[in-house]
Formats: sequence, structure tokens, C-alpha cells
Amino acid sequence: MGIVLENITKIYDGKTVLNNISLDINDGDFVTLLGPTGTGKTTLLRIMAGIERPDRGRVFYNGVDVTDVPVQKRDIAMVYQQFINYPSMTIYENIASPLKISRKKKLSKKVIDEKVRANAKLLGIDHVLDHYPEEVSGGQKQRTAIARALSKDSQFIFLDEPLANLDYKLREELRGELKRIFRNKGGAVVYATPEPVDALAMATHVGVMQGGEVLQYGPVQEVYHNPSCVDVGSYFSYPTMNMFPARLVKKGSRSLLAVSDNLQIDVSPLSGKMTREDYLLGVHAYALSITRENDTMIPIETTVELSEVVGSDTELHLDYHGIKLVMLLQQLVSIEIGEEIEVYLDPDRFYIFETATKSLVAKTGQSQAA
Amino acid sequence: MNNRAVLFLLPVIVIMSLSAFIPLITVVNYSLHYIFSGSMPQYVGLANYVEVLRDPEFHDALTRQLVFSTMVLAVEIPLGIMIALALPRKGIWASISLVLLGIPLLIPYNVVGIVWRLFTQSDIGVIPKVLGFFGYAYNVALDPIDAPLTIFILDVWHWTPLVVLLCYAGLQSIPDAYYQAAQIDGASTWKTFRYVTLPKLRSVLILGVLLRFMDSFKIYSEPLLLTGGGPGSSTTFFSLFVSRKAESYELGYAGSVSMIYLFIVIVFSFVFFQIMTNIGKGGQTK
Amino acid sequence: MASIELRNLSHSYDVIMGKGEKASFSINNLNVRWEDGKAVALLGPSGCGKTTLLNAISGLLKPKAGQVMFNDRDVTMLSTKQRHIAQVFQFPVVYDSMDVFGNLAFPLLNDGFKKNDIRGRVEEVAEILELQDLLKVSAGRLTPADKQKVSLGRGIIRPDTAAVLLDEPLTVIDPKLQWTLRRKLKQVQRRFRITMVYVTHDQHEALTFADVVTVMSKDGKIAQTGTPEELHENPDTPFVGYFIGSPGMNILDCSLTAEGLDFDGFVIPVSDELRSRVSGPGDGLQLGIRPEFICSRLEPENGAVPFTALIIEDTGAYRVLTLTMHDIRIKTRISQAEQVSENDTVWVSFPERHVKIFRDGSRIY
Repeated sequence: MGIVLENITKIYDGKTVLNNISLDINDGDFVTLLGPTGTGKTTLLRIMAGIERPDRGRVFYNGVDVTDVPVQKRDIAMVYQQFINYPSMTIYENIASPLKISRKKKLSKKVIDEKVRANAKLLGIDHVLDHYPEEVSGGQKQRTAIARALSKDSQFIFLDEPLANLDYKLREELRGELKRIFRNKGGAVVYATPEPVDALAMATHVGVMQGGEVLQYGPVQEVYHNPSCVDVGSYFSYPTMNMFPARLVKKGSRSLLAVSDNLQIDVSPLSGKMTREDYLLGVHAYALSITRENDTMIPIETTVELSEVVGSDTELHLDYHGIKLVMLLQQLVSIEIGEEIEVYLDPDRFYIFETATKSLVAKTGQSQAA
Repeated sequence: MNNRAVLFLLPVIVIMSLSAFIPLITVVNYSLHYIFSGSMPQYVGLANYVEVLRDPEFHDALTRQLVFSTMVLAVEIPLGIMIALALPRKGIWASISLVLLGIPLLIPYNVVGIVWRLFTQSDIGVIPKVLGFFGYAYNVALDPIDAPLTIFILDVWHWTPLVVLLCYAGLQSIPDAYYQAAQIDGASTWKTFRYVTLPKLRSVLILGVLLRFMDSFKIYSEPLLLTGGGPGSSTTFFSLFVSRKAESYELGYAGSVSMIYLFIVIVFSFVFFQIMTNIGKGGQTK
Repeated sequence: MASIELRNLSHSYDVIMGKGEKASFSINNLNVRWEDGKAVALLGPSGCGKTTLLNAISGLLKPKAGQVMFNDRDVTMLSTKQRHIAQVFQFPVVYDSMDVFGNLAFPLLNDGFKKNDIRGRVEEVAEILELQDLLKVSAGRLTPADKQKVSLGRGIIRPDTAAVLLDEPLTVIDPKLQWTLRRKLKQVQRRFRITMVYVTHDQHEALTFADVVTVMSKDGKIAQTGTPEELHENPDTPFVGYFIGSPGMNILDCSLTAEGLDFDGFVIPVSDELRSRVSGPGDGLQLGIRPEFICSRLEPENGAVPFTALIIEDTGAYRVLTLTMHDIRIKTRISQAEQVSENDTVWVSFPERHVKIFRDGSRIY
């Protein structure tokens, strides 16, 4: 039971926007399609929903080919980036609207009322049911749209950047709630977003997209901790994963990945896998530290380009020999532009990518332990 | 999708070919023959075109037309901008003035011609009476300057509102921030107009200029109804000249004039198209 | 350059929305002083009157009551030009028909500067903003980010600019370029030590940019003015506590009884010092604590309150845990190492040094 995509290709004006995408989504999955703007997320979502037809490839719902079935005849619901509600109906009527025009079965007034109130309560809008969409806040408008999608009781729900037009506080609130709301819904949820945090916070599965292709698909934690390539690693992380260009050098019996004279990582246990000269060493922004937690940590001298306050954290943009770095500190600090600070790197928390193929070779800490 | 689009286009293609393409071929065919009523057409190649291009009457009509169209632009565009700037932006008076301005645009061409003929008729018209009171002997039927001038004023009265409406819409779409920025930058009223208003109106102004140029080039029913092209040929503008030739049964000659007319219109349309698309490109940022 | 002070500033107006509805915008008896040369952020949710206030400072709007003071001089009745104020708008405002040089030179030309002085000054400002290679480019052809730099440049080009006001200047900038522009703004501010007032609804922009942040609440009042650290550590109102920080401060209704702070039947003991500072009646209080300061454990502990884990959100660096008990919901931050699953019982305690107490919307402890 679920959605299967087989070799989906979509071409607009001679430009391939989706290239041979195959996905297998099971009921109960909360899937995020993650990628920058213009990468084909929305198009893929629309093809799954049946709003657009693929140029090649098939779409299956529960094993049945629905590629040629128009969207009206499919059992799906969709929520858009814009807050789309019926302006002349109250919030209550909006949420009730899919139930009243349901083709599946005629529902009694009482059943409809129960469902509307249950969904409104779930989304925390039960106190504004008598209002019109114009009279409520942006967050409540989008909650209404989501409640309406829920009351359709569809097996599949598609959401296209539903939080994009909300301010940051509302996003923060809704993110957690959406996870809870969709958790026990049955069916599958597919959610397109450019925000890595959306995928991390809510989803069970993630497909990282770039240039019309799905670079990697799998359970969120697996993709996050084992990015298949540089692009997945740097896009599916917040802040962006730092990348140090490094060269493989031999020192006696040891193999080292050298970024500079003092930043060198011992990769001797991995030398069997390392056949090239150029590598990229990836490290998460929060794996950088301003305190030396143990002796193995490597100090580097950096220059502060900007210290940014993000929520209750500070993102330090740093420069190390022309390499741009970001460090996440879980506190508020303010450091002036141009200040020099020493930063510590844990040699066990690097991802090693081949520069030429961009693919992940190994992670430092793990394999050494093994 | 594509197949269906072709289906929807089909009726248009059929009607267009019947109403435009076939007559066009006929005209092209005419323009290559000597045709006098009753007699057999005789193929003469481009002889008709040569004759037209050498015809002083043709030169007169074309020159008159270009002078007229240029004057129309020179007066209607600045006047339109000025009126648009002077109009109230908000409230009931904005609506009222827009409706009043719209009235001339709603009157059909032929009615405009007839109304103005009544205005200007030398025996009963208001205009000759008023001008006569001030000592000017106005006569649209006899004076070769009064006649084209009257048609010019008629055109200004009839079409300046179009320019006003275009500019008004353009002005409304300029964000307040631009004026506030100019105020902060210490710009004078004139500089604000020169560097904020005018550049921001550029696209509607180009549209206005081209619409008014092409439209004034086609002016026909007003001179026909008001002066019949006279006195002499002082109001025989280009399309009137073409139709005169056709009425005189010089079908071959009229055909080649029509083709030249068509050519001129296509050239202007092409320029129009080029400028319009370039505006689109200019607005985009890389 | 100038300090800016608002004294009892009030203004209100109605905007007619569609369908004959009216929306009122107002600012209410504002008093604040921003010192000369500071990077100031004016932070508040949309519709709180930030832009109205900004227009009152720049002189585009005359307030109905109160005074605007620059360097302790009353400028309330002066025109925008007389105030020597520059403003950068939400949407980049450039003169399309001029090149970048012309745009930057425009305010100086209007003020009657000499050609040579203008050239030198324009080149200096262009270099700081990294626009020197674009001076001959028509301003209409620039990217939104470069256009915004040009508007900033026009703002700082006058040597006698009293202050630069910025109205959500990054709204239309590609998120990836935003940080470079934020950095540029901050550099310019530091270099010229010019008073800048930056209006935004985005706490991230505000806290990154500013030395001093003034938070406005939805009703058009100033909730608090302070450094980013002060706002985060010691919010004056529950609103500031919730609005600043991510996730925002947890706010719980509570009362002070003989046993301690009581919320929903659970009592946490308090020190004598806290008790002495919370004078007056013990009820009608609100307790505030930041998610990162809550101690949570999976084993019962003396004085800890049992909550149920409702939602766990991963952010990569840490996880946000939403906990619930009866009708109360709180959020905490936990590290990636901690093993928690949904529906687990989590024992929560609030370290007293991080607890804030509010009464009637103001902090009393």
C-alpha cells in the first residue's frame, strides 16, 4: 500500500526538469522532498497528485497505475504555500466543504459536525470556526487549509511548502504540531520544502533533490548521518556542512588527509578505501567548538566574518585560509567582525568525500573504532 | 494538451484564412495587374508600384499623414501626462474624473464625426459662431488650414483621455517608497518627475505612443464625415487616399497602394513588437 | 550623526481595507532613547506600528502627539530633508534611468556639492559596498541585492547624515545572499559609527544586526529595549520572552504558596530570596523559563515534575522536546545523546536561577 513512482521524467520547453525518478513510498511514511528552489520538488509533487502528467514513467497508487487518472478522481488532498480557502465560507464551512461534496459517501450532518470539530481541535482553530478566512491570522488560515485537507480523509496528502509564508515563530509552532497531526493518520504524507529542518523535525523519510534528480532517498536519520555525496551532506544539514579541501599524503606508514600544515587527519585505517589524491572533509557546524574538550581536538586559527543570532543560538561565519566555515554555538555570543578566534575540530567527526566523484568514502570516528 | 490546443485554434484559423488571407491574396493579385471596369485584367508586374511611388498625390497624402501623426503624438502624450498628474488619486473625485475622461472613448467614430460636423457647420455650428465673435472667420469647409486643424483638435479631444488613463494607471503603480526616497535624497519637484515618475511611466508611455501613432495613421471616418477630405486635399489622410483610389475603380493601382500601406503598418508593428519585448528584457535582472 | 529620542510619541490612523472594513494602526505613548552611533533594531510582529514609527522618525509622517529629538533637538516639525535622514526601503528603490554612479551621486548633486568632491565621495562609498565595478551599470539592471546596496549607498553618501533608517531591507533578497548583505550592513555601521535603525519582524535579523534592540508588542507599545543578551536572559514581559529565542520561553500560570511555586497542583520549592522579591498577593503569577535551561531526566528525582513526551523534533544540532502534563505544554532542548521516545515520562525541574516570574505582564523576578 502506498505510492510508487517509476522512471518519472518531465520536460518543459526542451528542459528536463525531472530526470528518471523512481520512488517507493509506503503507507505511514511522512516523506519530505528536500531541495533548493527550482529543483523540481513541486513538479514531482504535482505529478504524484495527478495535477500534472509525466512525459515518461508511471505513477502507482496501491499497486494500481493511476498515471492517466485525473486529479479529481484520485483520493488525495493538497495544501499549498499560499493560504487557499474559500473566502465566502466561514472556517467551519471551509473545513466541512470536502465532506459535503464527498463522492464516496453521503454523510449525515451530525457526522460532518463531529469531524469538523475534531479536525479543528487538532489544529487548534476550534475557537475561530465562525469567522471568515479574512478575519483570522496567516497561521490560522493555513491551519484551516490543513484541516480541510484532513477532513477529506484521503489516503495521500501532499503539502507544497505549507509553512513558507508564515513568520518564523508560527513556523516553529506548526512544525511540531504537523508531526503530531500526521503521525497516526494512516496513508502517506509527502511534503516539499527547501528547509532541512523541516525534514529533520517532522519526517520519517527524506528525498534530497537537486537539478531534477533525487540524489538520495531513505529514512531521515540514515540519510542525515550517511549522506551519499557532498551535495546531500551540504544541503541536508543546518547550517550547511563545512567542507575542507584536503590532499592525501603519506607520512611513513600513516596516511593523512592534509588541509593545511596543522590541520591533518589520520586516515590510516581507511587507506584501503582511499585511492585518489583530492578529498573533501565535511564537518557539521555544531561539531566545531570554541572550547577544547579533549587533547585530540585540533585547534585552528580563524577570522570572524559575521556572528549571527539564530533563535537561542549563534552562528559564527568564519574564514580559515580562504575556506568559509560556519560554527553553531548553543548560546548567544556577540563577536565583532574581523576578530580572530581559535576553533577546535574533533578528528572523529569528519565525513570524507572524494572530490572527483563527490561520493562519501567513509566517516572518520566510526571506522577507526571498528 | 497540444492536440487539444490545435483543435481550439482551428475555427480561428479557418475564419482568419477566409476573412484575411484570401482577400489579401486577391489584393496582391490585383496589384500586379491593370484592371479597368469591365475589361480583362492585364499582367503588368510591378508597374503599378512604380507608378504609386512616383505619384505626387501619394507623396502628399503620406507627408500629410506623417505630419498629422507626429503632431498628435507631440500634443496628446505631454497633455495626457499632465492631466494624469493633475487628477486626484483617491476618493470619489478620482472616480468621477475617470468616468468623465472615459466618455469620449466610448463614442463611436462615426458619431464623433457627425457631432463635430454639427459643431463646426458654418451656418449653425457653435464653433464658427464663437470664433466669429472673437473676429476669426472660421470655415471648415473652405479653409485649408481650419479643416485639418479641426480634425487635429477633434483627435486630441477624442484620444488624449486614452493617454491619460494609461498614465494614470502607470502612476498608481509607482510605489510610494520611490517618492519618499526622492524626498529624502532632497530631489526637487522637477527632478522627482524626471528621475522617478518619467522612468517609471516608460512602459505605459511607449505603449501610448505606439497605440496613438498606429491609430492616428488609420484615421478615416472623422475626415470623411467632417470634411470629406477637403477642401482640396487638405484633409485627405492616407487611408482616405487609399479608399479614394479604390472607389475610382483603379483597382490595380489601389491594390498596390494598399500593399504599400500594409508594408508600412507591418514595419511599425515590427518596431512596436521589438520595443515592447525589449522593455520586458530591460526590466529583468540577471 | 545623532542620538535619537522619542518622547511620548503617539500616532494612529485607519486604513480602509476591502469590503469597507477598517484596520487601525497605532503607536502608543512611546519613550525611548537610542545613543549616537548605535546599531538599533526595532523588532515587532507585523502590524505593531514599526513602519509608522519609522516614518515619524524620518519625517515622512507628522505624529499626532509627542516629540522626536535628534541630539536633544526637537525635530518633530522639520521636513525629511532638514533632518538629514536616509532611508532604505523594503523593496529596493533605485533610479532606473541612471547608472550606479548617478544614483550614488544624486543626493550630493541635490545638495549642491562640487563635481570633484562628489566623484571622490562616490568612489569611496562604492568601494566600501563593493560596487566599484558596477558604477557604469544602469541601476535597473542590478540584482535585488545590489540594488539594495545602492539604496544603502545613497543613504550613507552624505557626510552629514544623522541616521540611516532601514525598513525590512532584506525582504526581497535571496536567502543565500542575505548573510553577505547583513555582514556588509554591519561593517558599514561599524566603519562610520553611524546611527542605524533597522526595522524588522525577524528576530534573527534584529539580534544579528543590533547593539540595542527595541521590541514592540502588537498593541503598538514598546515592550523592552536592551542588548540581545539582555532580552534573551531577562525579558521584561512574557511576550519578549516568547518572541526572542527559539523555541521561545515557556510561560506557565502559577501562584506562590507557603510551599513554593504552585502550578496545576505541582509545587516547586523556592528560595527565600525569590520569595522576598515576589511581594504582594501570591496568585496571578506567570513563571517563565527558557527551554534550554529546563533539566529533564528519565528517572524520577526529588522535586521534579513528571511530564509526558509528546513531540520530538530533531534540528541536527539538538532536539526539541514538547512535553505535556494535563493542559500544560512546555518545550525543552535536549542533546542528541539523550535517549527519549514519544510517550515516555520525563521528569522535569526548573533551576531557580533561570526562573523568571511575571505579574500582570511585567517581570518581577
